[in-house]
Amino acid sequence: MQGTIVKAGARGLVAPGPLSSRSSRYWAPYLLVAPPVLLIASLVIYPLLYNIWLSVHHYRTGEFVGLYNFAQALADPQFLASLHATAIFVASALVVEVLLGLGLALLIHRTIRSGWARTVIYILFLLPMVTPPVAAGVIARLIYTPTYGVLNVLLMRLGVIHQEILWLARPWTAMFAVVSVDIWQWMPFVFLVCFAGLQGVPLDTVEAAVVDGADGWRLFRHIELPHLETLLLLVVVFRFTDTFRVFDHVLVLTGGGPGATTEFLSVYLYRNAFKFFNLGYSAALSLFVLLVTSVAFTVLTRYLGREVTA
Amino acid sequence: MRRRPSFWQVVAVGVVVVLGVVYLFPFYWMVVTALKPLREFYQFPPTLLPVHATVGPFVSVLLGRGYLVLLRNSVVACLAAVGAGMVVAMLIAYPITRLPVSPAFRRGLLNWILSLRFLPPIVVVIPFFDIVRHLGLYDNLLSVVLLYTVFSLPLATWMLRGSLLEVPMEIEEAALVDGASRFYAFFKIILPQLAPALLATTVISFALAWSEFMFAFILTATPRSQTLPIGVASLVTQFEIIWNEMAAVGTIAAVVPIVLLLVARRHVIAALTFGAVREKA
Repeated sequence: MQGTIVKAGARGLVAPGPLSSRSSRYWAPYLLVAPPVLLIASLVIYPLLYNIWLSVHHYRTGEFVGLYNFAQALADPQFLASLHATAIFVASALVVEVLLGLGLALLIHRTIRSGWARTVIYILFLLPMVTPPVAAGVIARLIYTPTYGVLNVLLMRLGVIHQEILWLARPWTAMFAVVSVDIWQWMPFVFLVCFAGLQGVPLDTVEAAVVDGADGWRLFRHIELPHLETLLLLVVVFRFTDTFRVFDHVLVLTGGGPGATTEFLSVYLYRNAFKFFNLGYSAALSLFVLLVTSVAFTVLTRYLGREVTA
Repeated sequence: MRRRPSFWQVVAVGVVVVLGVVYLFPFYWMVVTALKPLREFYQFPPTLLPVHATVGPFVSVLLGRGYLVLLRNSVVACLAAVGAGMVVAMLIAYPITRLPVSPAFRRGLLNWILSLRFLPPIVVVIPFFDIVRHLGLYDNLLSVVLLYTVFSLPLATWMLRGSLLEVPMEIEEAALVDGASRFYAFFKIILPQLAPALLATTVISFALAWSEFMFAFILTATPRSQTLPIGVASLVTQFEIIWNEMAAVGTIAAVVPIVLLLVARRHVIAALTFGAVREKA
């Protein structure tokens, strides 16, 4: 590598000709990439293979149990309940974040023109996204906790409620609390991506549509929405995979409770693996989590095709 | 030429003001709680401004509870992981953007690294926990650093690739024609061009590693190797919560990434979407 003098134009993204294909120059990039890639592979792929091994063995005896762990999952009411809770969490967070974020982006894109106001909004929305989830959990605790929680005080002052709501002690309000933290943190992400996307809509197209008499809704439906489609898909996949694996703020805020109403998959797996040391069973469940996430990731790379890759 | 604001403009301003409260008040409340003596916290109705403001909770968390050590662990782990991650990312990003490789290889590698961003931590951490225990690396900061390094790669590799693509090929070629080695060209010509992107990537990677919770939570057990988020969680989940101390450590945990990302704010959205979105603000 070092000291090689190469003629201009012989490199770049142009593939080398057949004559040089066996030379060291042909292999150089691959050799350079190999050590770091092997390192990562050993740290990621090995654990994944190990996971598969764990899932088909009895953890304590090391005996091969085939698909027993997987079969157990189908008959495990707690797993099914956890799946159900996760579905509620993912669906509600995703729908609210996308609709609110997109709606807000449209509203602000069309009405607020001043540069400094947009910068203020941008910074305001960066704050929650970069807050560590455990810190968001702390904040949520200060808001939702009984007796000292600020939300109850506020609602009582406004006369909305007359009796304390035990937010974290009732199933639906606890679910609401946990979802609300996710929305608070990540609706801004949807907003910022959509907002940036809206600014990329070619102005002359918009003007032409307006001249042709398109109203606000049609402008959105036929011009802006098609333009945002790819970004929306990206946002949905990011939010889906992130809500599907949610753990941090849930553990801090409800710990999966009350009962098991907010015991989402990651929390349930964590319990099984590290409280009950059911590593084999948890490994089997984690492969399920991996499968779902992989499907979402594949959708992303397929649909975005060249736009995200290459 | 100031026009009368339209109906929607009024709505927008109203919505932004409401959101301002929804987003700023929680932070305000955490900071204010951290500044109250416990007795004032238990007062009803709660005071909007601390009457007996004190930094006592910060002192007792950092010194009394020894969270200073966790803070140090966090700084050390994140710095080490980000440093190592940047080097590894560069070792991957440089060859596949500036040397001739087959497009299929490039796309496959980039996608594989991107897929790490989507890999749920719980999937890796179960086997990793078992492996780490067998290696005697349980409750050792090294295992946390290793994982943080790997999981800083998607962002770092994609950011570096994006900025490497923006450095014109001709600059490097000119240097090579003049007899410079690739090595020399990289350090003297490419790297200075990348400086702003490198800085932004480092800062954002650091902030993300700083926020990480699950790996540290499962792979550490004592203050020897615990990171700050673990300290935060243990204050929240203990039986009797010391509210002002909890708020104080939450504030410390949040302040670091917030400050860092305000510094790198132009790059945050690009980073979080892997360059799919460019933000100009």
